[in-house]
Amino acid sequence: MQVLAVMAQQQPAQPEGETSGGVLGVFEWLGTHFIGLFEEAGSQFVDLVTGILPTLIVLLTFMYALTTFVGEERVTRAVQWCGRWWITRYSVMPILALLMLTNPMAYSFGRFLPERYKPAFYDSAVSFVHPVTTFFPYANAGELFVWFGIANGVTQLGESTVPLALRYFLVGILVIFIRGIVTEKLTAFMIKRTGRSEVFADFDRQFEQAKASEKA
Amino acid sequence: MTDHETTTGRETATGTDTATGTETSTVFVRAGAGGWGPGLTLRSDEQRTKVLSVTGGGIHPVAQKIADLTGAEAVDGFNTTVPDDEVVAAVINCGGTARIGVYPRKGIPTVDVYPGAPGGPLAKYITEELFVSAVGMNEVTRSTSDGDAAGAAPAGGTSDGAMSGGRDSGGGVPPRDERPSASAVAATLPVGGPLGKAFNAVTNVFVGFGSAVGSFVNTMLAAGRQTIDLTLKTILPFMAYVSLLLGIVMYTGVAEWMGQVLSPIASNPFGLLAISFVVALPFLSPVLGPGAAIAQVVGTLMGSQIAIGALPVQYALPTLFAINGQVGCDFVPVGLALGEAKPETVAVGTPAVLISRMITSPLAVVIAWAASFGL
Repeated sequence: MQVLAVMAQQQPAQPEGETSGGVLGVFEWLGTHFIGLFEEAGSQFVDLVTGILPTLIVLLTFMYALTTFVGEERVTRAVQWCGRWWITRYSVMPILALLMLTNPMAYSFGRFLPERYKPAFYDSAVSFVHPVTTFFPYANAGELFVWFGIANGVTQLGESTVPLALRYFLVGILVIFIRGIVTEKLTAFMIKRTGRSEVFADFDRQFEQAKASEKA
Repeated sequence: MTDHETTTGRETATGTDTATGTETSTVFVRAGAGGWGPGLTLRSDEQRTKVLSVTGGGIHPVAQKIADLTGAEAVDGFNTTVPDDEVVAAVINCGGTARIGVYPRKGIPTVDVYPGAPGGPLAKYITEELFVSAVGMNEVTRSTSDGDAAGAAPAGGTSDGAMSGGRDSGGGVPPRDERPSASAVAATLPVGGPLGKAFNAVTNVFVGFGSAVGSFVNTMLAAGRQTIDLTLKTILPFMAYVSLLLGIVMYTGVAEWMGQVLSPIASNPFGLLAISFVVALPFLSPVLGPGAAIAQVVGTLMGSQIAIGALPVQYALPTLFAINGQVGCDFVPVGLALGEAKPETVAVGTPAVLISRMITSPLAVVIAWAASFGL
């Protein structure tokens, strides 16, 4: 490839056939760089496929099977239990939801919460869809490259991605927790400002009733 | 799974059967977790009065429930032979490739209690109109709309339709008299047969053990199938596209040029704060969100900057949060709808989420920056 490039540069210097050499040189230059571009892209592709795919495929298979064995019902019960307290509502609950139902069905667990907490739960859950891909890529396998893109760069430097992954995951939990609380407060503020306090008090009563009737 | 249960099952079925004349309802069977197919609408009529349970070890509860709800009779396909044209639906437990296609091939709607999917030599007969899998008790519900039932009911029309459809595709379902009869098919199955209760008890143990192993293997197989499906349809296409992008950026030297522009911004906390704030602006965040396409591309590009050393590794963590302040902002109403939120909640929730991001997105960068010391 390099030889070709050098030849392409040398060609115009020859006295005879300068024009044809020039034209040929341009084509050679184009040809070299055209195919070179795709060769570079191809080697990137090979890196990604050999570096990420094998582990990812067996991990995904294992996790899909595991979620089937654990069963949705058991997780549903745990999630309902988590929804009762503010500490777990924006930490354990969105994580369990994502691990069990994956993106985007995880947001459907919002149905176990009173209306006023639903936006905060959604915000919390959706903000975890990328930190979760560090160790549980199956939970959002369609959007792996937010994490893998950065991680790939770290790998190419020859460093381990595990410390970074661990921190991304843990900071992710902290961030979704804070985000949940901030959004919950802002939702309450919006309810008051748009004069919907009565409507939402009504929703709360309906939710309590539904819960009571479920128990009975 | 004892003989006793089977008997009770039959009694229940007969009990319901008497009510058939007055009350026959349609039943909708949807696919369960990891299952296949959009679902079947089942209904019994004068001719079709049997739900065939080909699961081994008596009548499967799912078969019993379908029978109860349609007003049909549940029969054990291992002990009894039923003419094809009397079968409302067949309930099977197969995630493999053999038995799964036997009943669809005969034009009989098939309900698989395992997460099976079309495969094997009979794959072409396993169509959306005839097959649904991973069905549990909760997936069997009384159908609300009778209109659907008329079209999808397993009356003669369905199998005729399947036959003509088959001819079109070249394979063709053979005409009824050429197809293997129920007894012929039943004969090929490992039947305990009416050889006495002792024999049944022994077979039940084996069937129970076999079912457990089968269930395990089938779940793993279904998980593998799901993974490969996702790899082919989502992950590999994205890798192809990302590789092309990276190839262009690396080869043309744009990467280095970008590095010169980006590294002063991305390698100091204030630059990252600015990025995180901009992407979280309420009028930008819903536009930047879809499919995380932008975050993924920027993530990959930032990764390439880290690889060439333009961006120090300790900024990787805050960068991950800075480029992703908009995550899910495009999806708020849909996500809330998935959680069965009321319209009022969507009305107050959407602005709450968007405004919250302007606060929490820069905050996340600060936390991530603080957490990345010692990397």
